[in-house]
Amino acid sequence: MLEFSNVSFSYDGSSLVGQINNITLSILKGQVVLICGESGCGKTTLTRLINGLIPNYYEGNLTGIVSVDGEKISEKALYEIAPIVGSVFQNPRSQFFAVDTNSELAFGCENLGWPEEKIKERMEQIVSEFHIESLMNRSIFALSGGEKQKIACASVAMLNPDVLVLDEPSSNLDLKSIRELGEVIRIWKDQGKTIIISEHRLSYLMDLADRVLYMQNGKITKDLSLEEFQKIPKEELSRMGLRSLTPITFQNHRSTKGMTDEQIVLSNYCFSYGKRTALQIDQISIPKGSIVGIIGSNGAGKTTLARCLCGLEKKASGEVLINGKSYTGKKRLNLCYMVMQNPSHQLFTEDVLDEVLLSMDDNEESQSIAEEILKNLNLDTWSERHPMSLSGGQQQRVAIAGAVASGREIMIFDEPTSGLDFRHMEEVADVLAKLQDMGKTLFIITHDPELIERCCDYFLFIENGTVKWCDGWNEETEEKLSSFFDQTHIRSIFYT
Amino acid sequence: MEKNSNKLQAKDLVNVGIYSAIYLVITVLLSFLSLVPIFHPLLTIICPIAGSIPFMLFLTKTKKFGMITIMGVIMGVVMMLTGMGYYCLITGLVAALIADFIAKSGSYVGAKKSVLASGVFSLWYIGNYLAVFITREAHYQHVIEGYGKAYADTYMSFYPNWMLPVLLIFCFISGIVGGILGKKILKKHFKKAGIA
Amino acid sequence: MNWEVLSSQIKRKGVRLDPRTKLFLLITISILVVGGEVSGMMIVIKPLTALIPFLLLFTIGKWKQALSFTALFAVLFLSEMFILPSMGKSGFLLLFFCGLFGRLLPGVVMGYYTVSTTTVSEFIAAMERMHLTPKLIIPLAVMFRFFPTVMEEYHDIGDAMRMRGIRLGGKKTSKMLEYRFIPMMICSVKIGEELSAASLTRGLGAPIKRTNICEVGFYKIDLFLILFCILMLGLNLLRAAGVF
Repeated sequence: MLEFSNVSFSYDGSSLVGQINNITLSILKGQVVLICGESGCGKTTLTRLINGLIPNYYEGNLTGIVSVDGEKISEKALYEIAPIVGSVFQNPRSQFFAVDTNSELAFGCENLGWPEEKIKERMEQIVSEFHIESLMNRSIFALSGGEKQKIACASVAMLNPDVLVLDEPSSNLDLKSIRELGEVIRIWKDQGKTIIISEHRLSYLMDLADRVLYMQNGKITKDLSLEEFQKIPKEELSRMGLRSLTPITFQNHRSTKGMTDEQIVLSNYCFSYGKRTALQIDQISIPKGSIVGIIGSNGAGKTTLARCLCGLEKKASGEVLINGKSYTGKKRLNLCYMVMQNPSHQLFTEDVLDEVLLSMDDNEESQSIAEEILKNLNLDTWSERHPMSLSGGQQQRVAIAGAVASGREIMIFDEPTSGLDFRHMEEVADVLAKLQDMGKTLFIITHDPELIERCCDYFLFIENGTVKWCDGWNEETEEKLSSFFDQTHIRSIFYT
Repeated sequence: MEKNSNKLQAKDLVNVGIYSAIYLVITVLLSFLSLVPIFHPLLTIICPIAGSIPFMLFLTKTKKFGMITIMGVIMGVVMMLTGMGYYCLITGLVAALIADFIAKSGSYVGAKKSVLASGVFSLWYIGNYLAVFITREAHYQHVIEGYGKAYADTYMSFYPNWMLPVLLIFCFISGIVGGILGKKILKKHFKKAGIA
Repeated sequence: MNWEVLSSQIKRKGVRLDPRTKLFLLITISILVVGGEVSGMMIVIKPLTALIPFLLLFTIGKWKQALSFTALFAVLFLSEMFILPSMGKSGFLLLFFCGLFGRLLPGVVMGYYTVSTTTVSEFIAAMERMHLTPKLIIPLAVMFRFFPTVMEEYHDIGDAMRMRGIRLGGKKTSKMLEYRFIPMMICSVKIGEELSAASLTRGLGAPIKRTNICEVGFYKIDLFLILFCILMLGLNLLRAAGVF
């Protein structure tokens, strides 16, 4: 049994984000508990209290007691907690210590000094349990995000901990990988493990969770059984800042606006990594001023298309025609602007205002224009801050501000809502609509059906490097989209 | 608890690894300049200046004796693995150990001591040049036999002996300059970004 | 693009040497080829030792490189020995560079061979076998793990710079280094913090003797090479002592 009694915690520094106030909670062995709530509500802090990173790694002010089976977590060193509580984190890139999969699986056991033979036996068992035979003896750097997350789960399972803590494990995954993550959680559930998952994406957990905790400002304000939770109407969920529990049907998509009769034509895109052709597009045309959703599985070529479109891939062929005017390779670097999935890569200066000014030519008016742009994106209060000190969502808006300032016609967003709660997703959708009003054409790579329903009005479906279909909203599109996104829902694999 | 202990903890060791990686990536990227021969001696200026910036950031995470020393040894190990000889192992250990003592005497927070430590730490870089001088010394006899002493002396004037202390001073001063620059960037970026 | 300094995946090609053997070879080459003079017995010792890294290149299927490096070394070595002395003063610069590159080349090739054929796991296992302190092994392991990550950041930031029009001859040329390296450091440090937390939850740093499932060990070829190195080092000592 996992118990919190009167636990409060705040991080060093004055920020109130993520603090926890006087939580008392007990979780029975074998329960699968979903923790949800808006960003900054304290979900992650709660998980860190369970796996001992608080107070062993993150410093701050802790009172109260967290215990697992009567043993106080806060009094143990991390290596003593490791065999009791296993942790899977949000970012698949940063949770590996080794560089090949075998060593990664063995890592925890090696640290605790298990004999080599025992490690190998355990490894064989885990490999067959998780069906990861094909991933063994591979370089970590050659794995996809989903594969990495699977290896992360398997490595944690090696030590056979009774409690598993997952902190937003699906944030960086595509639909297929999320489904596989669900299967892994199913395995653990069947083994009777206690599982605590903090998550924004809820629909894949609806067949797995037993209990749902809703957090607000560091307190648990709702403690519901899954049945009770599922009865909450959709509007209420949105108001609580939560994502949809059921697959999106796209019935209520936005009406098409902003599109013009002018067409943007992409023609002759061809790009290959070595011998493997990654992209092959003969010709597609897109209404200028639309918000184009680029969808498809991971590895289908979505990001490659985006990079080619921006002119970032020097070896790629292809051109963009706007009203018959052609833009090739290098010219597109000044025509398109990509907001990357990790916006911290594209912020260079020491404060937010400079960041916007960087995109503009120096003249007297630029200062006031920049301030105007920041105001429009609700960034004016942050204009003095260092861009890297902002949250992910704010950084993204700074990047967007830079894009607006540069006056580019075409903007590309690489998964702008991965790992965002409902409210922040809505904010992104609003910003995108604003950009559309300015007459920009937007391309959005996304796995987020709620974002698509809310703001896209044209679609490119990519498979194996080619465009399978492209179209605006109509019944057929709704059908195609909902069947594609329905794959996430775990029910479809267990009951069909 | 961990934070009260003076012994190096896993967290500290991981930090050493991370900053060593950043330090080396920057240094190695700049070392490609040495493909142009004129840059070869100039690297004793460029690399310490650039490397001192992550080094100053590293010092903000350093609170315990030994972290700087380990970083110095790591520089040596990597240089050896990549075929640059074992000299950096020695210069790395010595320079870093002294830098560690200096930083410790300022309790790892003193600004002046940190900059000085950065200058001293940069001296490890000289290990990359020792091979040149050693080769030349060994060569000297051979050249005398073949050409006579006068010629051999001209030969020696290419990378003359006094170049060694000069390069050493270059490293040190550049390390100091880099340290001061690093301090500025700490204020300008790293502190504001919340990582220092 | 492969920016790994030690490789992450075993390439099952050619002879596999124990990492300790490779380290010993590196040291031997540094002593004999870089340092030594070119007279007396050294005329034999030097090229023999220098030949090892070139032969090793053959074993991992790098035929072209192996052949061209061998040829280059032969030219450098022979010209240093025989041709340049007869060229008089005009060969002065050439002599210097032949001497320098001829000495450094085998070491660099050996270094290339070492880093491209050793996996990080093997290297760590070998260091643990040598009973090095975890205080050195943990940072080294983290560093090798981290190189590719830092380089990824470096490239992503480079892309972003091009897109924002910051390039040579473009905007803000003077600030290119700052814009490139500062975000790279900030991003890397942030990833590093996550990496650190994740590895601690899996027991890194436990005061328990670590085990290691990666198999390293000496085989005949290792023994042969080690004996060869010892022989060469011994000959060199005898020569220095004036026996020859």
